[in-house]
Amino acid sequence: MSWGDVGSGALRAALPLALWGLVSAAFAARERDARFLGSARWSALCAFVLVALASAAMIGALLTHDFSLQYVALNNARETPPYFSAISLWASLQGSILLWTTILAGAVAFVAWRGTRDLPRLASTALAILFAMLSFFLVLVVTPAADPFVRIDPVPADGSGPNPLLQDHWLMGLHPPLLYLGYVLFSIPFAYAVASLILGESGDRWITATRRSALVAWALLGVGIVAGAWWSYAVLGWGGYWAWDPVENAAIMPWLAATAYLHSVMVEEKRRMLRTWNLALVIGAFALTILGTFLTRSGVINSVHSFSESAIGPLLLGYLAAILVFSVGLLLWRAPRLADRETMGTPLSREAIFLFQNVLFVAATLTVLLGTLYPLIVEAVSGDQVSIGSPYFDTVDVPLALALLFLMGVGPQLPWHGASRATLERQFSAPILAAAGGGIAALLVGLRGAAPVLAFALAAFVVGTVVQEMVRGVHARRTLHGEPPAVAFVNLFRRNGRRYGGYVVHVGIAVVALAVAMSQSMAVQKDATLAPGGSMQVGSRTIVFEGLHDVAQPQRQRVVADLRIVDGGSSVPLTTALDYYPNSTSAVGSPGIRSTAGDDVYAILAAYDARSRAWATISIKVIPLVSWLWIGGAIVGLGALLAALPEPRPRRRAVVVAPVPASSPASAE
Amino acid sequence: MTARIAILIGLLAVAVAVAVAAVPRAESPADRVARLSSELRCPVCQGLSVEDSPSDTARQMRQLVAQRVQQGWTDDQIRAEFRAAYGDWIFLAPPLFDPRGAIWLVPLAVVVAGSAIVAVRMRRAAPPPAAPTEAQLALLRERALEEPAE
Repeated sequence: MSWGDVGSGALRAALPLALWGLVSAAFAARERDARFLGSARWSALCAFVLVALASAAMIGALLTHDFSLQYVALNNARETPPYFSAISLWASLQGSILLWTTILAGAVAFVAWRGTRDLPRLASTALAILFAMLSFFLVLVVTPAADPFVRIDPVPADGSGPNPLLQDHWLMGLHPPLLYLGYVLFSIPFAYAVASLILGESGDRWITATRRSALVAWALLGVGIVAGAWWSYAVLGWGGYWAWDPVENAAIMPWLAATAYLHSVMVEEKRRMLRTWNLALVIGAFALTILGTFLTRSGVINSVHSFSESAIGPLLLGYLAAILVFSVGLLLWRAPRLADRETMGTPLSREAIFLFQNVLFVAATLTVLLGTLYPLIVEAVSGDQVSIGSPYFDTVDVPLALALLFLMGVGPQLPWHGASRATLERQFSAPILAAAGGGIAALLVGLRGAAPVLAFALAAFVVGTVVQEMVRGVHARRTLHGEPPAVAFVNLFRRNGRRYGGYVVHVGIAVVALAVAMSQSMAVQKDATLAPGGSMQVGSRTIVFEGLHDVAQPQRQRVVADLRIVDGGSSVPLTTALDYYPNSTSAVGSPGIRSTAGDDVYAILAAYDARSRAWATISIKVIPLVSWLWIGGAIVGLGALLAALPEPRPRRRAVVVAPVPASSPASAE
Repeated sequence: MTARIAILIGLLAVAVAVAVAAVPRAESPADRVARLSSELRCPVCQGLSVEDSPSDTARQMRQLVAQRVQQGWTDDQIRAEFRAAYGDWIFLAPPLFDPRGAIWLVPLAVVVAGSAIVAVRMRRAAPPPAAPTEAQLALLRERALEEPAE
């Protein structure tokens, strides 16, 4: 039996299981029948095992270079190193959809076994919806739309190898799965939201039940986006990390909508408001994950990430349309039940800041959506071709981002309902002084332009509010419980991880803001054509070009430029290369990067004398603070993890239950 | 009182710092080349600007911009030359005063409309009803029914 038999057999067996799971979960929800729920649970588990087996078979086929499979022949070669063979699972369309299906099957199994324990009826309904999604993706992978196990005959002696850009950096093993996990896990809050609408619930149980999955999905998406920025910085060779490429936009849109969602659900939990709005946000965020996949995978929009065209485009578009019609229709039908009973506080209340924050996030999301689709819209209307790129996105989104930074400092410092003047003075005097320090520091390091200086001031403001909160929290625990400072600090997170983890996320975002402000406005670039031994001066550093040498690797030929960075007394070597792959007509640049906490030296071999190796054109970019962008992303992930950790002793909710009228529906639960 | 003074001084310092940073400086020819190249799309790349792209084509286009700047062409003359050669597609953003400039107004419209909705809701603020409503009772019932039995 070949890898192909195992994989395609497993996928074909999983599809009926998913369909049966859909039926039995729906029955379990409708009839409140435990036997059907049990059947749905086992279907979910078996489907997950089968789909995971198919993924494992594909990885096995890639590792053993089984070129009888078309996917392997197109995305692998005998010389491809094992690591890059294994991660070629997501190097192209069919494998990516297989990975997506695997993660979705995992999410289905998780809800089946974990979610249905607490809220059987709501979770069973959500489970039926998740099974429906899984069935759709399984149909994709067992039909020509995205079948990864298509064979070719005759079997070629060697494959053509993965795209050169995908076999140059270890981050390729991290960035796509993180993004996909983020995308797919968003199905869970969406499914619960739709289930809650189907059952006609008016409460927020779907929110509390999916708080962790939403947070984890958001964090994985965010960390995946930063990992993607890092990958593009380390591989693409232009010294930047964000180009408003359609696939980057496709990832940032659901993240922006989800960020709005994570904050506005707190208003519903605390103030019983915004029910319709939160449902609309979660539907929107989920629809954006599908839209992004459609845009980048269908070939509608050209991008470094779009794979070859296939029948998958119309299918994904139909899926998206079905999801939107179904969920928006449900929302409109149920909207009268969801009307808010409570009222807003003053403009200086936490709920008001959350609402303004939501307005800005929605504006940012729509800006990115519009900018991404605008070339398509204009071409459809007038036939003209236009481009929308960084001049548009930067101009519109930088002010929005600065306003959001400001609200990020203000919101957590304000009480619900409204703040008095005394509260404002108590909460904001120290952070505003920090902001002043940040603004002055920005001038001192040489930043010019209102936006980057304001970004520094606002980042310092945010960090100031967080430090103040932590200091006050530690002080309170010391006074109340007599704990030593370190213990008190740890207990802040153990007792109220959601709040203090959230503060850590805010610090991470502030660090990202500083890194973006510095790296975008203070980078220095210099090109020079040098003979071996020649040098160029960039800032305080001398870059010496020592010469070229060739490296033969099984999968590629490299021409390596040896450089030396001399700065004061220190002298460190740095190499940058041009790589020649058998499946690529042009050379692929491999940047040389020397990272320090202060700045990165980013070197590119732009051109060289191919005949006598007598000269080379070296391009050097010095980019300040750029590594803090990745560190900031990691801090965001850490904060989200702290916020998602379960509390040590869940306190029982003290609900004074009003006498329940006897006419309440009989329930088996 | 000290808190109020600290807030005032802090806000003043931020305002002064931003104002100092925002003072327009004389643009050097290199700055002009960078600004104009960042408006142009590198024709052989995926959405990168001529300023950002390391490709040969972008390098040549940067050189052309630099040459025109040196020859004393105005911004609009340089833009017109590229428009004539490539069409509107070469610019990474449409001009504001153009039928396609609508794209610039949408974010502003969303922020204004959204803020107006939030503001109107706040204005309607009234004290919450004292007695539990039917919806609240229904919510309590739902919770009571589905809360795991302990």
